[in-house]
Amino acid sequence: MGDEANREEYIVQMKKIDKVYSNGVAANQGVDFNLKKGEIHALMGENGAGKSTLMKMLFGMEQPTSGEIVINGESTVLSSPSVAIAKGIGMVHQHFMLVPSLSVAENVVLGMVPKKGLFIDKEKAVEITRQNAEKYNLHVEPEMRVADIPVGMKQKVEILKALVRGARILILDEPTAVLTAQETEELFRELTALKKEGYTVVFISHKLNEIKEITDRITIMRNGRSMGVYETKDVSKEDISRLMVGRDVILNVQKDAAKPTDVVLKVRNLEYVNEWNKKMLDKVSFDVRKGEILGIAGVEGNGQKELIDMLFNLNVPDAGEATVNGKSVIGKPQAKIREMGVSLVPEDRMLYGIAAQASIEENVISDRCAKKELNKGPLFHMGAIHKLSEQLVKDYTVLCKSPAQQVGMLSGGNIQKVVVAREFSNDPSLILADQPTRGIDVGATEFIRKKLVELSRSGIAVLLVSADLAEVMELSDSLIVMHNGRIVAYFQDTGTLSDEEMGEYMLGLKEQTPEEIRRVCHD
Amino acid sequence: MTKKRQLIFSLVRGALAILIALLVAMLLIFISADGNSFGQRLSATAEAMKQLLVGPLFRINAQGIKFEGKRLADIFAAMIPTIFTGLSVCVMFAANQFNLGAEGGIMLGAFSSALVAIYVPLPKGLHALACILVGGAVTGVVMLIPALLKVKLNVSEMVCSLMLNYIIMYIIKYLMNTAYADKSKGQIQTYPFLNSSKIPALTQASIFTSSKLSWGIVIAALTVAAMGFFMYRSRWGYQIRMIGINQDFAKYSGMKVGFVIVLSQVLGGFLAGAGGGIEMLGRYPTFGWSALPGYGWTGITIAILAGNNPCFVPLAAFFLAYLGKGCDMMATYANVPTQLIAIVQGVIFLFFAAERFLSKYRQSLVVKTANEEIAAKMALAGGGGSLPQAGASGSQDSVKEGGKKDE
Amino acid sequence: MSNLLSNMLSPGFFFSIFRISAPILYATLAAIVVEKAGFANIGLEGLMMFSALFGSLASYYSQSWLVGFLVALLVGVGMSLLMGFFAFQLETDIILVGIAVNLMGSGGTLFLCKIITDITEGKAMASTTGLITSKLCIPNINIPVIRSIPFIGRVLSGHSLLTYTAFLMCILTSIMLYRTSLGLNIRAVGENANAAASVGVSVLKIKYIAIAFSGLMSGFGGAFMSMSYAQGWSQDMVAGRGFIALAAQAMGGGECLGGMFSSLLFGFAQALGIKFSSVGLDSNLASPIPYAITIISLAIFGFVRISRAKKPKVAA
Repeated sequence: MGDEANREEYIVQMKKIDKVYSNGVAANQGVDFNLKKGEIHALMGENGAGKSTLMKMLFGMEQPTSGEIVINGESTVLSSPSVAIAKGIGMVHQHFMLVPSLSVAENVVLGMVPKKGLFIDKEKAVEITRQNAEKYNLHVEPEMRVADIPVGMKQKVEILKALVRGARILILDEPTAVLTAQETEELFRELTALKKEGYTVVFISHKLNEIKEITDRITIMRNGRSMGVYETKDVSKEDISRLMVGRDVILNVQKDAAKPTDVVLKVRNLEYVNEWNKKMLDKVSFDVRKGEILGIAGVEGNGQKELIDMLFNLNVPDAGEATVNGKSVIGKPQAKIREMGVSLVPEDRMLYGIAAQASIEENVISDRCAKKELNKGPLFHMGAIHKLSEQLVKDYTVLCKSPAQQVGMLSGGNIQKVVVAREFSNDPSLILADQPTRGIDVGATEFIRKKLVELSRSGIAVLLVSADLAEVMELSDSLIVMHNGRIVAYFQDTGTLSDEEMGEYMLGLKEQTPEEIRRVCHD
Repeated sequence: MTKKRQLIFSLVRGALAILIALLVAMLLIFISADGNSFGQRLSATAEAMKQLLVGPLFRINAQGIKFEGKRLADIFAAMIPTIFTGLSVCVMFAANQFNLGAEGGIMLGAFSSALVAIYVPLPKGLHALACILVGGAVTGVVMLIPALLKVKLNVSEMVCSLMLNYIIMYIIKYLMNTAYADKSKGQIQTYPFLNSSKIPALTQASIFTSSKLSWGIVIAALTVAAMGFFMYRSRWGYQIRMIGINQDFAKYSGMKVGFVIVLSQVLGGFLAGAGGGIEMLGRYPTFGWSALPGYGWTGITIAILAGNNPCFVPLAAFFLAYLGKGCDMMATYANVPTQLIAIVQGVIFLFFAAERFLSKYRQSLVVKTANEEIAAKMALAGGGGSLPQAGASGSQDSVKEGGKKDE
Repeated sequence: MSNLLSNMLSPGFFFSIFRISAPILYATLAAIVVEKAGFANIGLEGLMMFSALFGSLASYYSQSWLVGFLVALLVGVGMSLLMGFFAFQLETDIILVGIAVNLMGSGGTLFLCKIITDITEGKAMASTTGLITSKLCIPNINIPVIRSIPFIGRVLSGHSLLTYTAFLMCILTSIMLYRTSLGLNIRAVGENANAAASVGVSVLKIKYIAIAFSGLMSGFGGAFMSMSYAQGWSQDMVAGRGFIALAAQAMGGGECLGGMFSSLLFGFAQALGIKFSSVGLDSNLASPIPYAITIISLAIFGFVRISRAKKPKVAA
């Protein structure tokens, strides 16, 4: 009887889903997730909570390690996106799957082109697009090139693509992240209309206002586990924030009180608008002093990446200034920035951090290969280089056969140790640590955290960006929170902060006064 | 994977590629062999293969086989230009620059050197040196064109260098026809080089008598050593290699990426040009090339076989020259056209460059190594340090997915 | 100089531009289609050499130009599929596959010519020029009405069948790319393979089709070279046309019409070179012009692209 009722009620049931990636990361652990017909269902959680993994499994892009997926009462194996599409599931990815030089109509019908004899029936393609656009109330220009249309319309094209292929369940991965306020409003109207037609929508987001506005139910995830399913009207924003944001483990990092002295990094009024006209940095100002760790907390995508890019000249701000010990770093070549004593542990270690096919030794000298002590005339001083790399491998406990081993062959944690060995050992006065422990094993994580504390206590300024709340709260001496490209809070002392409070700032429910925030500038 | 296993893998892979190429060659010879019966053709094929494999160094006749010094010297002589183009391509490919200008580069170098050899009288010894340096320098400067266009305007260095090859060839042909033509001769050529400029033959070593082998081979050997040091023992070569592996990493590390990319192509040009000069002065009395010589393309094969490592260039050059000589021998003694070399070379090239060729075997070696490592760690259990997060399949993956993000 | 000018204004000169451009145009179309599919085939030179050789041989042995022509196409397609196998299945860098095919195309064809025909004129020289009579060549076509128009008739009429098909192919390729679902898929795969795959387009299949198309065009080009442009195959007869095509593709902005004009430009420069020598000037002076133009125009394109990207963005 109960079973019978369930079958009626749920069109999708994901039961006890486990997903362990081949590199050993457990992205989902015993997750239950279900969808009712005709609802808008929010899937919430911080970055790395396992939302995307769960949805990729529902769309057939990944296979669960264990667990069952039931669609319309039938146990189903979704072996590929085509199978999922055939089952009526469509997904709109955060990075659009569109071909820019083709027209909107061509993108919509790609792979199922209407033909007139040998040729594409362009009128028919436009017709199909136009009809569906009207039917679903999604305004698009069928004959325009996708490259020339605004982001909001691109998203509609994506939704249309899914609907034209018969999707009854739509998964939208952070659909509003790239949209302006008006576009977001428009999207919500359209989604509501779809819902009335009996379509089911999964809405991934961390924006509380939006979630409250549009969704019926919420599944909240944290650290690969489901924190429960709630009726949206029954939970307050504060409840959601508390469920979403929180420490799962208390690290208990041992550290003495910081004794910060002179300002090393001074950032003033940095502004940046990205290529989609979205303001990523809005008058960002702060200081980092010798001997302290300043943490930047915040949900990913709120300007942290852009900020770090500006400080290392991987991008150029529209306005504002950043100086290290009084000298500007904006637009300076990386060699100059490094000469000023700036080190960067990059967020994407495979992209920037290492040359995978080169040896450990070659990776640890990349920033100092021209230094006198490593060269003898025109040639390298191999003795000095060997000594240096052996010392670093030992000091940073890099698990390897010898420094001649290829870096790409090491585990993630040991690769990161190679990166920090290089970045921490070049006598820096400022360390920028961007997600320094993401995706690496416990041992390496602990080691890197200890090193950061140790270095800051020896008089180095550390700027720590981390999406890991426990890390950023317990490692930092003081903390700023970023939301929507702005600093919304500054805490001089992290010791007294509660997770709930942090969550409210991170998700934009609360904001300090400008006077409170300005205290981070130690003029 | 351990170093030893890696070496075994490379050797097996290389040997298999060569074997496949030889099988293809054998098949082609068999098809074209004289004789009516299967047996006759087979023995003709065997005869030809013997010439191909043994002929480059030994004279084969009824009395048995006998070592021939001259043939070895010929092989060495053939290696001189290709070692230089091989080194040139190594330097450029190592920086991930697909500059195919070594072909035009060696011709330009040869021609520039020839002009100095004809028109600028200098004392013996110094003259040859000046010729070679001018040949290298002119080519290096010309390579600034693709290099700067790549760095400044992101123009494909490949198309640009291919076009340059033709421009160089036509301009040289024009100059040979007009300003620098020796009109007294029947064929198109320049005036003879001054004697002071010539690179003498290596006749001192008795086994090399009566061959065209010049001291150029010694210069080539020295250049190989120098380039080996440059690429693996100097900060410049190091930066070239790092840029070739991961340009973003190089930039982030503070390297001057644009400058190093230009450097690699200019140096590549210099090597090809200098090689052209050395070949010219050591082998010919006058400049008479009326078409691109083909050494640039051979240089690419050599660089691929050598894995862009200068130290392996002589080995690869020797191998190709040996095969070339073998094909010559087949042409002379077994009536098989000498151009078989092109097909053999192409097949070996393809299999060397094929990433997935024998990838299953490689994978099994990686897994074996990973399993052994884990067994070793188990034995040491609790020994501190940080263990890798994943088991056997994890380490396997981190190899396979190399550059991918590990989230 | 006036001699040269009057020579250039003759119908024969314009006639020769079309004739010379045809094989370049074929290769350019090949380059355009693979580029649209997202990769480069720099082995066109070698493919054309093989097609030229086997086309002329088949024509001789069958005593039929049609058989020869079809064999040329077959060889082009077959070899290009083999290239695809190495590039897509064995993950060999496609550039290196192209280089290997070119290596084999220059010396290997000579080897094959020798062992198949048993002609060994001296050490290097061997060709099929002695085998191919004009009867075995692709026929020339006189177009009824047009042939009788003064001047224009002598420019446009009387070309080889394959000269006309070259320009026809240019139109057909353009239609294929922009009017058929195959073309749509090719362009989608080249621009965003993930997007194409996400709607069920087989990326691998499309890539194979694209490279086979480049082989087909090389087959046309090769057949034209050995069975029309020249009577019979000889060593290195393609003489860089496969590389010029890569430049013509880039110069023409990757589109068929642009590629056609670039091919004609190259044809013009070569025809000019021939005229130069006919009036006693050195053709070697005219021959490098198209290559130089290519480098200059690539530089200009690059400059325009960079300065466009640097334009300040407008804040919202």
